[in-house]
Amino acid sequence: MKTNSLIRIKFGRIFFPVFPAAAALLFGLAVPPTLAGAEVFTVALTGKYPPFSFYSPAGELVGFDVDISRAIAGRLGRESEFVTTEWDGILAGLLAGKYDAIIGSMAVTPERAKKVIFSRPYYLSGAQLFIHRKDRDKIKTIADCRGRNIGVGLGETYEHFLRENYPGINTVSYKGTVDTFQDMLNRRLAGFVTDRLVGLYQVNQGEMPFVPAGPLLYQEKMAIPVTRENTVLAGEIDEALKSLQEDGTLAEIREKWFGAAARETARGSAIPPRTAAEMLLKGFGITLLVAFTSILLGFILSVPGGWILNNHPPLLYHLVRSFNDFIRGTPLLIQLFFVYFGAPQLGLVLSPIQAAIFTLTVNTSAYMAEVVRSGLMAVGPGQRKAGIALGLSPFQVFRFVVWPQAFRIALPPLMNTVVALIKDTALIAMISVGEVIREAQSIISVTYDPMKYYFIVAAMFFLVTFPLMKLAGKIEKNIRARGFTNA
Amino acid sequence: MLEINNLSFSYPDGSRALEDINMTLPREHILAVLGESGSGKTTLLMCIGRFLQPRRGSIAIDGEDISGIEHREFRRRIGIVFQQLYLFPHLTVLENMMLAPEKVLRQPKKEARRESLDTIGRLGIGELGDKYPSQISGGQAQRAAIARALVLKPSYLLLDEPTSALDLNTTREFGRWLVELKETTTFVIVTHDVPFAEKTAGSGFLMADGRLRSVGTLPEILKAIDHHSF
Ligand SMILES: Nc1ncnc2c1ncn2[C@@H]1O[C@H](COP(=O)(O)OP(=O)(O)OP(=O)(O)O)[C@@H](O)[C@H]1O
Ligand SMILES: [Mg+2]
Repeated sequence: MKTNSLIRIKFGRIFFPVFPAAAALLFGLAVPPTLAGAEVFTVALTGKYPPFSFYSPAGELVGFDVDISRAIAGRLGRESEFVTTEWDGILAGLLAGKYDAIIGSMAVTPERAKKVIFSRPYYLSGAQLFIHRKDRDKIKTIADCRGRNIGVGLGETYEHFLRENYPGINTVSYKGTVDTFQDMLNRRLAGFVTDRLVGLYQVNQGEMPFVPAGPLLYQEKMAIPVTRENTVLAGEIDEALKSLQEDGTLAEIREKWFGAAARETARGSAIPPRTAAEMLLKGFGITLLVAFTSILLGFILSVPGGWILNNHPPLLYHLVRSFNDFIRGTPLLIQLFFVYFGAPQLGLVLSPIQAAIFTLTVNTSAYMAEVVRSGLMAVGPGQRKAGIALGLSPFQVFRFVVWPQAFRIALPPLMNTVVALIKDTALIAMISVGEVIREAQSIISVTYDPMKYYFIVAAMFFLVTFPLMKLAGKIEKNIRARGFTNA
Repeated sequence: MLEINNLSFSYPDGSRALEDINMTLPREHILAVLGESGSGKTTLLMCIGRFLQPRRGSIAIDGEDISGIEHREFRRRIGIVFQQLYLFPHLTVLENMMLAPEKVLRQPKKEARRESLDTIGRLGIGELGDKYPSQISGGQAQRAAIARALVLKPSYLLLDEPTSALDLNTTREFGRWLVELKETTTFVIVTHDVPFAEKTAGSGFLMADGRLRSVGTLPEILKAIDHHSF
């Protein structure tokens, strides 16, 4: 029996080569190779949630949830395949059909249960308040935190819980544990609420001076969601969990990650510099690939775009004008989400890299078209008249007379757009493209050393953008030296 | 032969620049168009050069209405040098000149280059071929623009104020050189420079207030100018 979602995913794969062949080659990177014909069980998790899912020093995805996923896939008789994605978009991704299931320590809530089918729970934990060791006498329970800042993970259940049950507490949401810990150390936070198991593990791992305070705020059941249409798969997962429980596999995995032995092996797991460097370079490679592909495609699009904006052809002008205004007037991040999560509803399943390149291309082409337009505008009508007088066709006038001048004028501001775009690629980490910032976050989630790795990343960006900025300056000077003022 | 019949033109803002112009411009002559500022000389050239669409009347070259002639063919028959020259600032003088021969006449690069060098040589700016327009003087630029129009070997070349940036000597030289070339190209020169017109042009036209005031040899035109206290 085949499940709905499987068929859909296969469809996506078949569909893919129909896309321009060049794109397929380019985007090949984004789709992990799978055994031909093997049925795949695609699982989403964050990869930033030790010990449930995180990257090992060797750069491999490991953790409790990873082992559970493999075990379930084994019972299902399918290849497991992992998609690491941000927690705050993980449900949307499931609903958009990007993966079969989420095995990422997701707690069952009535709100979520309305949108998905949850499996039976595969472990129990609960919400725990952690505080700084020094505050042990001041804060006994959560009630003592009234009017103070308490950190929670963005989009996690604890946020809702605290807001509803302890309205006097000021909740502050964080994208990752590292940031939370940093603000705990800065004493910006009085405490943080997280899963008890996770919290203990992380505090231990980071050798942080934090301790649990008070009893569990509530108990949580962690389960595996699939989409509502996927009733068959939901049943199969339940069956698999039941058999894993009965034959002791579940207990074994639990022991591996939370038993006494785990504490020893997990301790002080630093990432060797070589591995870190490899991860960062690989990530930066993807950053540059996405950036420069988008720049190239965006520029190609911006030439007709700029021409239309400058020449006002009746219908096209209004189309391009309003499209450009819209793109430039809305946040790039929203555009990324819109494409990544929205395209599947139009039947187009884009990989993260495809979605990133598509969005950045469209975004940068809008900005570049404005630059091209002003470049074209700076070339006076006399130049066109002179070209026509020499018998050149309108296209030749554009190609040999107007465009070379407009391009030279537009080049310095174009360079600025290019630099801006390279920096904007930082946002694509949000749709789980494995670019450099995401890689850095993975490393930091193990090493707890944000300063060092974010600095390295900043330096990498600067190493690319700085020469470009210099180049822009040089070109500008060159153009001025040539007396590029137009009749 | 260029024939203009009942030509009238008004700018979009309603100002009447040309009123009922009738003129015949024979081949193999240097023709001067004189008239005070604002009399419609440039407008007339723009109508002949198809940059402005007449409100009424017609213009024909060798019996063929110009509105029906294919673009390239038309530009090869009638060349124009604008008052503001409009040299292409991103190209050298030589490149400015070679563009049309290469792209319009599809001449081989070598040939286009040789002819261009030959032309600027005769205009006395042979050593400026590799300079950019911003690197040469106004008079040199004027000659470069004329050279650029000449390489297409048009039957008629319309020149708007070609001597405005030339000194006395160069103007004289330029005049001699025009005379030399008039066998192949008919020059229609709009000018304020009466002595220059007198020396080079065989016959001319006098415009006033958008109308053609008088036609004739240069001495006749000059007499008419005196009458109109120009
Ligand atoms: N673009 C325009 N729009 C409206 N009126 C114009 C325009 N160009 C010229 N005119 C008017 O048309 C008339 C003729 O102008 P034109 O430029 O043909 O004169 P001209 O004889 O070439 O003068 P000059 O010797 O100063 O160059 C003038 O009254 C001028 O003000
Ligand atoms: Mg004029």
